[in-house]
Amino acid sequence: MVRIVKRIAWIAGCLLLTVAVVWGMEARECADCHTDTSIIEEGGCYLYIDPVQYSRTAHSEVGCPACHKSVTDDHPDDGTRPPLPSRTICGDCHEDVAKEYRASAHAANADCVDCHNPHRVRPVAAVSGFEMNRVCTKCHDPKEVSRTHGVWLPQAELHIEALPCITCHTGSKNYVITFYILKVEKHGGAMTKVKVAALEDLKGIVSGKLGTLVDADGNGTISLAELRAFNASYRKKGLELWGMMTPEHVSHSLETLDNRWDCTFCHASGPSAMQTSFLAFPEGQGSYRRVPIERGAVLDAIYGTPDFYMIGVTRNRTLTIIGLIIAAAGLTVPIGHGSLRLLTMKNRKRRK
Amino acid sequence: MRAGEKIYLTPTPVRIWHWLNALGIVTLCVTGAEIRFPEYVQVFGSYKAAVRLHNTAGIVVALSYLMWFVYYAFVARSLIKTYVPTAKDILGGMVRQALYYFFYFFLGNRPNPHRQTPENKFNPLQKASYMVIMFILTPLVIVTGILLMNVVPLRAIVLVIGGLKVMVAVHWLLACAFCAFLFIHIYLATMGHTPFAHIKPMWTGWEEIEPDMYDEEAEAQPKVADETSNVLQLQKEKSPPHLKKAAGE
Ligand code: HEC
Ligand code: HEC
Ligand code: HEC
Ligand code: HEC
Ligand code: HEC
Ligand code: HEC
Ligand code: HEC
Repeated sequence: MVRIVKRIAWIAGCLLLTVAVVWGMEARECADCHTDTSIIEEGGCYLYIDPVQYSRTAHSEVGCPACHKSVTDDHPDDGTRPPLPSRTICGDCHEDVAKEYRASAHAANADCVDCHNPHRVRPVAAVSGFEMNRVCTKCHDPKEVSRTHGVWLPQAELHIEALPCITCHTGSKNYVITFYILKVEKHGGAMTKVKVAALEDLKGIVSGKLGTLVDADGNGTISLAELRAFNASYRKKGLELWGMMTPEHVSHSLETLDNRWDCTFCHASGPSAMQTSFLAFPEGQGSYRRVPIERGAVLDAIYGTPDFYMIGVTRNRTLTIIGLIIAAAGLTVPIGHGSLRLLTMKNRKRRK
Repeated sequence: MRAGEKIYLTPTPVRIWHWLNALGIVTLCVTGAEIRFPEYVQVFGSYKAAVRLHNTAGIVVALSYLMWFVYYAFVARSLIKTYVPTAKDILGGMVRQALYYFFYFFLGNRPNPHRQTPENKFNPLQKASYMVIMFILTPLVIVTGILLMNVVPLRAIVLVIGGLKVMVAVHWLLACAFCAFLFIHIYLATMGHTPFAHIKPMWTGWEEIEPDMYDEEAEAQPKVADETSNVLQLQKEKSPPHLKKAAGE
């Protein structure tokens, strides 16, 4: 009995191994042609899959055939175009997400692949907030969005630059502030153009090791002192930080949430909220590595994060106290002078 | 001038400006407090309403500042004369005025060293503080406010100045200074011979001359001069503002 079981196990093992080898080979084979730029001339750039981006995706582990089930052995010489995977294929592996999204009204407007390129998917933390918005602005014209939102949202343009759409349009959870390094380009004096600094941009500006650009001691977290030092020296060189409020856990319940509409979700929570922040450091190919920043960075009076201010949330304590002292100093006049005035009333009466 | 007589101290445009400004600044202080401290201050229905109202009041105050400036600089042409302390004010006037407020007033043995006339509305201390407020604080609070209201379109300027946080810090500290000013201003306005003596004229334009109990100075002046100046005041009231000055000269 034991022997039979062992034998079956051995055969099964061999079988599994062959399947794995064949799959692996196939995946490598697919990549041989489809990650080679020469395929662009052969059939068009939609056939080309960026090998670096693809190798970074979790999908590179499942392999091409897991999704492209119907590609024949003779491909591409079989004369037929292999059919593209069904639009519902994502749900095979991402059951929960698919269920959640299908329940939302937006499911009728866009499929998974309208928002995600399966050959480029990355974990949320590696996707910049700007890119998350590009997903939506493919179909929703940003100018139009600014216009419709501007009816009730002051500075709609600023909000859309500082918030991924999904912050307001999904029930996503655990928001943090993520800072991106921007490059400010001067065009003829005062005119400035701002864009997210890519790895290449940083290489042109920073001498020495890039990893320690902000995290000077390279210990994997950014202290407030390091943040200030970065701002003090690199603002002059055209690098600045841009803050965005991004979700840690993305939900696909696409809807419009009421508390986003009356501002309380973001602005009325006081400084105890939104104190977790990260710096998203570019890693090339539009991917980011997140470095945690010491708590409270967005409260720093001036130089920690000079260009990020959320009213009602990121007020600095020291400045609050100084301000209140100024106002209180004003109050001492009516109180002090007023009391003395009452006490000395008869001096003035007598004179009359 | 004799006690009980009235002089026309505050022309209509200035009064409109003053009360528009008063309403605006009080609104700004309250909504501003709600915007900065939403967990503690909830006066207006929603946060959105507070932001909206703050922005609107800000624009109103900025426009009324413009009106004030145009009136004083180009219509009445008395901006410098009214608001900038003279050498005499700086050398002795301010000290004398401060001594009065903090010392003689309590003893009750000396008159207010300043006498209001349309040509010389403010005492040296008032001039100095209004000058700082109208020439420095108000423009600064308006400029930072406009920048904060238009972060994206005016980003280049925001960056040059040092970032949003600098702007917010300046705006907040100035707001607190305005709040302090409000306390002092309203209190001092009750320092006339009756608590409303200075407040009513800001509404009607006419200020009643203080019944003077220690009138050595005024007695010493020739009566005729007083009489003529009063006649001139009356003429001024009838003629439109830009003619007033001519009439006064
Ligand atoms: C020898 C090179 C080569 C290999 C290996 C290869 N492909 Fe292709 N593939 C092509 C070319 C060339 C085309 C364009 C065919 C055409 O336009 O008819 C193509 C087309 C496709 C298409 C169709 C795109 C479309 O809609 O037009 C898919 C999907 C595809 N390949 C997937 C795969 C997968 C999956 C593998 C691995 C199992 C693979 N390919 C292996 C060269 C290759
Ligand atoms: C997670 C599933 C998945 C994996 C893994 C995957 N693909 Fe795809 N691929 C898709 C889907 C879905 C589409 C269709 C996209 C659409 O409908 O727009 C597609 C489309 C394509 C196309 C057509 C061009 C296009 O973008 O429409 C090619 C070529 C292709 N895949 C090649 C590959 C190759 C080669 C691999 C492995 C290196 C691979 N795919 C791995 C899901 C996958
Ligand atoms: C064969 C199974 C499979 C299919 C089919 C599949 N995925 Fe995935 N996908 C995975 C796995 C495994 C991961 C790794 C992380 C995880 O477990 O969520 C992943 C991760 C992701 C991620 C997040 C990236 C990350 O690393 O967290 C996205 C976005 C994603 N998939 C989108 C899609 C889309 C869109 C489709 C349909 C075109 C699809 N997937 C189809 C297996 C699959
Ligand atoms: C309307 C656009 C849209 C549609 C449709 C959509 N997603 Fe997403 N999805 C996003 C955005 C935006 C993110 C945030 C991160 C990113 O951009 O990759 C995201 C993130 C994800 C993640 C990563 C979540 C995490 O917490 O790591 C997965 C997995 C995913 N989507 C799968 C799917 C699947 C499966 C479908 C189809 C059922 C789908 N998405 C449909 C917009 C969309
Ligand atoms: C493939 C195109 C496409 C993409 C990508 C897309 N949408 Fe849509 N969306 C639509 C269409 C079509 C409608 C319906 C018409 C309309 O209201 O504009 C719609 C409607 C909406 C609505 C209004 C729903 C309502 O209740 O009226 C919201 C909110 C929305 N989308 C948000 C998003 C967000 C957020 C993203 C990005 C994560 C996104 N969309 C990405 C096509 C898209
Ligand atoms: C600050 C939160 C917030 C952000 C950020 C935001 N939205 Fe909205 N959006 C709303 C609210 C609230 C409504 C509902 C407004 C209403 O009912 O009038 C809405 C409505 C919509 C609608 C439908 C009605 C309309 O006015 O067109 C669409 C489409 C939409 N948003 C798309 C987007 C897209 C795309 C983005 C990102 C570029 C985005 N939104 C960013 C809060 C937001
Ligand atoms: C989903 C979160 C969110 C919601 C909802 C939201 N905001 Fe904002 N708000 C932000 C962020 C993030 C910023 C930008 C901070 C930055 O980039 O400096 C911002 C900036 C602002 C600013 C500019 C502050 C400055 O520095 O001048 C104002 C004003 C503002 N919001 C008002 C509102 C009002 C009014 C509402 C409701 C109608 C609202 N916001 C809704 C997140 C939000």
